[in-house]
Amino acid sequence: MRLLVLMAAVAMLATQSVEAARPNPEKLPPTHIRDLHYGDVLFYVYTDDDFEAITRLNAYEHWNLLPHHEPEAQLLLGGLYLSLGLHNEAGARFEKLLTPDIPIGVRNRAWFYLAQVWYARGYLERAEHAIREVQGTLTPALDAEKEHLLANILLRQGRFDDAIQLLRGWNGPADWMAYARFNLGVALIRAGRLSEADPVLSAVGTLTSNKEELLALKDRANLALGFAYVQADKPQQALPVLGRVRLKGPYSNKALLGTGWADAALGDYRRALTPWLELRDRNLLDSAVQESYLAVPYAFGKLAANAQAAQYYESALESFDAEDGRLDLAITRIRDGKMLDAILDKEQGKHYGWFWQLQSLPEAPESRYLYAVLAGHDFQEGLKNYRDLVYLGHTLEHWSGSMEALGDMIDTRGRAYAERLPRADALLASGAADELQRRREELAGRLNSVAAEVDVAALGSPEEREQWGQIQRIEGLLASAPPGKETDEYRERLRLVKGVLYYHLDEAFRARVWQQRRAIKDLDLALVEAQNRWVRVQHARKSVPANTGEFSARIAALQVRIEALQARLVSTQQRQNGYLAGLAVAQLQEQKERLAAYRVQARFELASMYDRAQDTEQTHKANDAPAAAPAPATEPKP
Amino acid sequence: MLHVAHPRRFLAPRAVALRLVALALGMLILAPSMSARAQSAAVPPAIAAPAGSAAPGAAAPKTSAASPAPQAAPASAPAPAGTAVSAGGAPESATDTRGLDQDIQGLKKDVVDLNRDLFVLEEELLFPANTQVAVFISMDVGDFFLLDAVTLKIDQKEVANYLYTPREVEALAKGGVQRLYLGNLKAGQHELVAFFSGQGPHERDYRRGATLKFEKGIGAKYLELKINDRQRRQQPEFEIKDWE
Repeated sequence: MRLLVLMAAVAMLATQSVEAARPNPEKLPPTHIRDLHYGDVLFYVYTDDDFEAITRLNAYEHWNLLPHHEPEAQLLLGGLYLSLGLHNEAGARFEKLLTPDIPIGVRNRAWFYLAQVWYARGYLERAEHAIREVQGTLTPALDAEKEHLLANILLRQGRFDDAIQLLRGWNGPADWMAYARFNLGVALIRAGRLSEADPVLSAVGTLTSNKEELLALKDRANLALGFAYVQADKPQQALPVLGRVRLKGPYSNKALLGTGWADAALGDYRRALTPWLELRDRNLLDSAVQESYLAVPYAFGKLAANAQAAQYYESALESFDAEDGRLDLAITRIRDGKMLDAILDKEQGKHYGWFWQLQSLPEAPESRYLYAVLAGHDFQEGLKNYRDLVYLGHTLEHWSGSMEALGDMIDTRGRAYAERLPRADALLASGAADELQRRREELAGRLNSVAAEVDVAALGSPEEREQWGQIQRIEGLLASAPPGKETDEYRERLRLVKGVLYYHLDEAFRARVWQQRRAIKDLDLALVEAQNRWVRVQHARKSVPANTGEFSARIAALQVRIEALQARLVSTQQRQNGYLAGLAVAQLQEQKERLAAYRVQARFELASMYDRAQDTEQTHKANDAPAAAPAPATEPKP
Repeated sequence: MLHVAHPRRFLAPRAVALRLVALALGMLILAPSMSARAQSAAVPPAIAAPAGSAAPGAAAPKTSAASPAPQAAPASAPAPAGTAVSAGGAPESATDTRGLDQDIQGLKKDVVDLNRDLFVLEEELLFPANTQVAVFISMDVGDFFLLDAVTLKIDQKEVANYLYTPREVEALAKGGVQRLYLGNLKAGQHELVAFFSGQGPHERDYRRGATLKFEKGIGAKYLELKINDRQRRQQPEFEIKDWE
């Protein structure tokens, strides 16, 4: 394993210098896998399957299979909880785990990531608490991220003075400084200190860079400052600032709109028409573009080009009506409750987790509006939760099916046990194991006597024992035979045969005793195995009913838990679906309201223009008739 | 309302995830380029915006949509997020929203705990400790061997045949140890044979085997297939370790 190699490298360095042997306050020691099951958890972490990893980690801990990796396992568990969006659980664990024993660098990073997650989920107080737990000297990059996060927390809490104080005193890497200065400028504007914000935001708005990220930041700085000037009724100062925003960037629409209003505020309506007419050809989804539909005829009206103004108002009304119809359709579809499933159906790969971003949108009429909806932080976070719930629902469904199979297995086991029970009971009642042991003892005793008495014939082959028996029978016959030469010859021949046979038996006796003792040893092994099995059968006889019952009870209890969780899941999923659909509909409703307001304005303007035109006509007629008085001109109200 | 800005790498999701893993493993923080890649992978820029970061236009005062010129100001102010009437009918207030998040977290935790209990039950039922045999596989470096597949035979019977994805091979190379096989064996002598297929040195097809005779006792038995690089011979080495 690579970690082993790392470990070896560390060990090598340690032998080379005392310095290297000192513990690094920034890191935990490299992991050397000492429990295979911990490696198995890491395998799932590395393959991005956090849910399986956390399941296994919890189960292996339950079986106490990770004795050598306890601290890392706990930290990893905290990280996995965080990854699954369980930030409260992760936070509680980190609170306990991040003791002074843990290297400070590790503690800092853990607190920092927790602060990021809490910030993203809108738990600003907790995020601030976590970020303030980060202590000591940090790497410049981490320090920059930390300060930036803290500044953002303060700004979102509306604590502008605190944010200003923090950002003014901070100095970090160049790219981070641009963001810090931008946020400082924003904080100053929000605190009503526009004159102080100008040099700060201008510095960001005029920086030189080729990076798209910084170019976008430049645009944002200029836009923020430009609009602040327009709002402060200083159009002259707003114009050069808004002019610095790129024409093709993501902020160009608002910059064009603002430029037009700055020109209009200076009374130069002809000049204001240039950016506003450019906007009219852009995407109507953008609120700045929608507003330009009214701004253009308003400017024409100011320039007394009433015919063009009326034409543009008519065209705006048509566009607004069409857009309003499309918005109604989108709202209906979202309210049908199919929006989220359509969004998630398109997603491939992992189906849960906090570290996820939506990659594409379904091809549906409402999709064009969803880009704006999805850009919302609340919606994104809520969508992650919804997606997790859908995944958990599938998991529970899968387990529910498995429970049935496991229940069937227990039943089958129970039946098989009942069938085998009589045979097992008969066997256990026979005392076969004890009988075998008794016979073994008897055999061993006989062998010992044979060896002690040197009964060589007892261990002979069957043929030899047969021959030995014949010899003994003949000896008996010869003992009672009448004396004589013939009898003596037989006795002599028998003595010779007996001597030869005894010689052979005696020669083989020691080897045969050894063989028999060895056979008894083999028998002992077999007997031990048999006795073990006997004990296991006895144990199984006693424990299987309890085991089966225990498993059945566990399965039943788990089934109840699954069903309860499924019910909770369905209701929570519906609430979440409703909440997200509500967010989406609210955003679309907001657009509808804006369009409705614009429509009212357009209609009012049109009506006013027609009234003025009619008045003018009547005035002309009255001029022809000297008694008629001129009607007062009304100021257009866009 | 003015929104605050974040560098694009701020809160890049995958980067944070990797850092958490690195944190747990005691590794160093990853380079920012990782997060930059994570950002560019997302398709619509608005969707890719990190949580909490401003969407296009958010840097400007929110009144920009309604122009700063009073004449063009819209009649109604936008409804704040979270106060909208939900599609289901009942509205979720901001407090409810946080409550909902808490409920979801509680639910997730309960499902995680249930999943552990189910996993424990399944394994205890199907693979009791007294008959359990688990075969793990680990890899050291893997410069001389690119794993493609492993076949396992126990007592001449094929019990596992696993094809590896590049991600799984990477996970092994990072230090993950996969539990390749879990089964039951009765006590006594057994033989494990493993065949490793893949690409060896010089990108040649490579197939090697390793054998181990082992004794299965009363408790669970763990065996580890190890793929090591032999630097001196510039060859991979395959061995089976019996974890007592």
